[in-house]
Amino acid sequence: MDPEAARTARESLDLAFHMSNILDTGLDRHTLSVLIALCDLGVNPEALAAVVKELQREPSPSPPMSTAPSSIP
Amino acid sequence: MDEEEQNKLIDLVKELVHRLLSQSPQSQQNPQNPNFENSFRYALRILSSRLTPSIAPDAAAIAESVKRRLATQGKSSDALSFADLFAKFSSKTGPGSVNNKWAVIYLLKIISEDRKSAKNVVNSSTLLPNLGVHELESKNDSRVLNGKEDKQLGWRQNGVLLVNKDPENLRDVAFREFVNLVKEENEVSEEVLVRDVLYCCQGIDGKYVKFNTMVDGYCLSDLVKVPRATRVMVRKLCELGWLFWKVRGYISESMDRFPAEDVGTVGQAFCAALQDELLEYYKLLAVLEAQAMNPIPLVSESAGSGNYLSLRRLSVWFAEPMVKMRLMAVLVDKCRVLRGGAMAGAIHLHAQHGDLLVHEFMKRLLRRVCSPLFEMVRSWVLEGELEDIFAEFFVVGHPVKAESLWRDGYRLHSGMLPSFISQSLAQRILRTGKSINFLRVCCDDRGWADAATEAATAAGTSTRRGSLGYGETDALETLVIEAAKRIDKHLLDVIYKRYKFREHCLAIKRYLLLGQGDFVQYLMDIVGPELSEPANTISSFKLAGLLESAIRSSNAQYDDPDILDRLRVKLMPHGTGDRGWDVFSLEYDARVPLDTLFTESVMARYLKIFNFLWKLRRVEHALIGAWKAMKPNCITSNSFTKLQHAVKLQLLSTLRRCQVLWDEMNHFVTNLQYYIMFEVLEVSWSNFSNEMEAAKDLDDLLAAHEKYLHSIFEKSLLGERSQSLFKSLFVLFDLILRFRSHADRLYEGIRELQARTMESSLSSRDKKKSLRQTNDMHTKPGSWLSDGRKALTQRAGEFLRNMEQELDATANEYTSLLEGFLAQLPVQQHVDLKFLLFRLDFTEFYTRLRPSV
Repeated sequence: MDPEAARTARESLDLAFHMSNILDTGLDRHTLSVLIALCDLGVNPEALAAVVKELQREPSPSPPMSTAPSSIP
Repeated sequence: MDEEEQNKLIDLVKELVHRLLSQSPQSQQNPQNPNFENSFRYALRILSSRLTPSIAPDAAAIAESVKRRLATQGKSSDALSFADLFAKFSSKTGPGSVNNKWAVIYLLKIISEDRKSAKNVVNSSTLLPNLGVHELESKNDSRVLNGKEDKQLGWRQNGVLLVNKDPENLRDVAFREFVNLVKEENEVSEEVLVRDVLYCCQGIDGKYVKFNTMVDGYCLSDLVKVPRATRVMVRKLCELGWLFWKVRGYISESMDRFPAEDVGTVGQAFCAALQDELLEYYKLLAVLEAQAMNPIPLVSESAGSGNYLSLRRLSVWFAEPMVKMRLMAVLVDKCRVLRGGAMAGAIHLHAQHGDLLVHEFMKRLLRRVCSPLFEMVRSWVLEGELEDIFAEFFVVGHPVKAESLWRDGYRLHSGMLPSFISQSLAQRILRTGKSINFLRVCCDDRGWADAATEAATAAGTSTRRGSLGYGETDALETLVIEAAKRIDKHLLDVIYKRYKFREHCLAIKRYLLLGQGDFVQYLMDIVGPELSEPANTISSFKLAGLLESAIRSSNAQYDDPDILDRLRVKLMPHGTGDRGWDVFSLEYDARVPLDTLFTESVMARYLKIFNFLWKLRRVEHALIGAWKAMKPNCITSNSFTKLQHAVKLQLLSTLRRCQVLWDEMNHFVTNLQYYIMFEVLEVSWSNFSNEMEAAKDLDDLLAAHEKYLHSIFEKSLLGERSQSLFKSLFVLFDLILRFRSHADRLYEGIRELQARTMESSLSSRDKKKSLRQTNDMHTKPGSWLSDGRKALTQRAGEFLRNMEQELDATANEYTSLLEGFLAQLPVQQHVDLKFLLFRLDFTEFYTRLRPSV
């Protein structure tokens, strides 16, 4: 990876992180970078958003497995 | 996706899950708990469930929508900085930059929205932790739909904006409405069209579908762009609205008109029936409208759009109401000017239809429409009441006097006769009601009510109202026939038994048609001298007295005093020179109700017959009188022995001449008399009696009586066709009467001559006696006493010559007249006149006299 590309990538991540903050997504820099990588791999952003939402709410004591099947059509 | 990438993805997801779980405060202590495994599997599941995004990958559009949302939330500075950052972010290209920029932006946007909604909503509903996911899914669904539409329409932002169901966001709601509006301006969705069509079918203008006076119908306004097929379909569906509008217009018009003008009960019934049908129609519309508002998703997901009620479905729904409505509109058009029975008849014409639906519908309608009509028939047939304020019934009553009630009181109004009631049935209905009214008004009878009740029970229907209806023509017919049978029978009973029609007819025959011989003979005897006076000196009171004495001295005195009471003398209006004979007549006073049968015209004909018969009787009487004068001629022939031979011969020949002529006349008159009495009067009477027995109703009776009178009239040569014959007959009668006076004079002269010769023969023997006789004779003017025997003979010869001449003239005239009469007789149509001819010319004397004929 050449330094130019690394710089561009970092700047992009910065910009995305800024936007994320403005939009109040509650994501930290690292998570965001993982998400961007996943997006780059062509994962559906809607699905990603759903994962983020589900797992961020995880603190509830009920295990997600019990409710997951019913939530998926 | 190759193996490496797959591994990378798994690692990344693991990392993501780890990061996310480590954020939450509880799981931070034990990162390797089983919770992690579960979460990781859950995440993979979510990711694998949705492989493609639901919106078009357009980063700029998403960014724009985020910016707007920030701006509307009042964070304009954030919005600006976001726009700035996005511009920079999107400008990063080349190696190392983010490839799926739109995905990142979109991801951020969704997470941000999720967090917000989680703060607002989910906090309160911790028991439903997966609600968020569920919501998201449904949103996704709608996003798919809207995204697709957006692509077609080119409204890129909408897709995103529409998703937002934030209740706080009123602007969004307003904007959505605006978008709908814009969309509608361009192109109308089917949903809206369906709603419009439903409105039109209630006669209300819709938003796009409006009533167009130019084409006289509802149609889609030209400004709206829809496919041609849709336009045509809307037009077709809205025909129902047009028809409905028409029917409703008619109903309201009739109802408005009602108090002022007479719409009529049938018209009202028609309106009510239509109203009921419209009620059904309203119900259908209400159901359809409810269905249109409640979108019911269909089984197949692909077609599961909201508008359950499409135009096509509507056209199926409307198929049946359309048929009915069209029928109603046609009927309304037809019945606009019609009323009453005519209206029912017009509607009935439409009921003859092969389509079961139409048939049933028309039957239901007609049942309602005809109910007032049938009610009228029922009350008319059973109660004789004409409950017809609006002149709708096919029986029309006219206010008339009692005696013409039967003939002119009630008429059939053929225009109001509905075609399902046959002419004969209508006649029967008319007559039955008429009979009841006749009984009530003229006969003052109450017994018919029992007959009517009996008839009703026999027909199987009670006398209460509304028991008959359309389609039960058989029941109606039975009822009418039963009622007619009983009421007619009752009426005839009343006429025969209570009002003694038969007896009155017989009395008329006996007195007016001179059937009672002794009475007529006696009347002729005592009235004769009175009637020889000039007409203007005769007193009808005196004649009435003479009639009275004639009745008392004949067998007529044993007759019913009620009948004798009605017999009167009537003097007809007379001209100058009329004798009593010309004006005298008898009259029979037929009171109510028999004056229906013996009307004035009937009585006038009786009078004419009476005059003829009276004249015939008079002629006969005169001839008998002449015979009485002639009878003692055997004495005379003996007493003339002393006369000169020539004079004696002359006398004898004159006498003989007179006898022969008398005989000839007597033959004629006797035979004519016989013919009239036996061939005409008695035969007609016998026929009439039989018909009277057989008569089923008053009309039959009237016809029989009419026939009776007519046959007498025709056979007695009084008819129109035998006028000339009748005239020559009267000339003959006059001649016979003249002959009678001749004969009287002849025999008077002869008797005087006889007295003279007796005296002259006696004078030589008994002078004294002759002198006294001479003195007696002296008082007479123009006597032959003073003359001598020669002069006497001379005068006798002269007298006899004169008489012979006159007799000759009379005989010649009589012969020629009789010849004329007999020649005319065979020309007549009547078979019975042949008998008369046969009788008169029994010995073929007249035929041989005129070999030419």
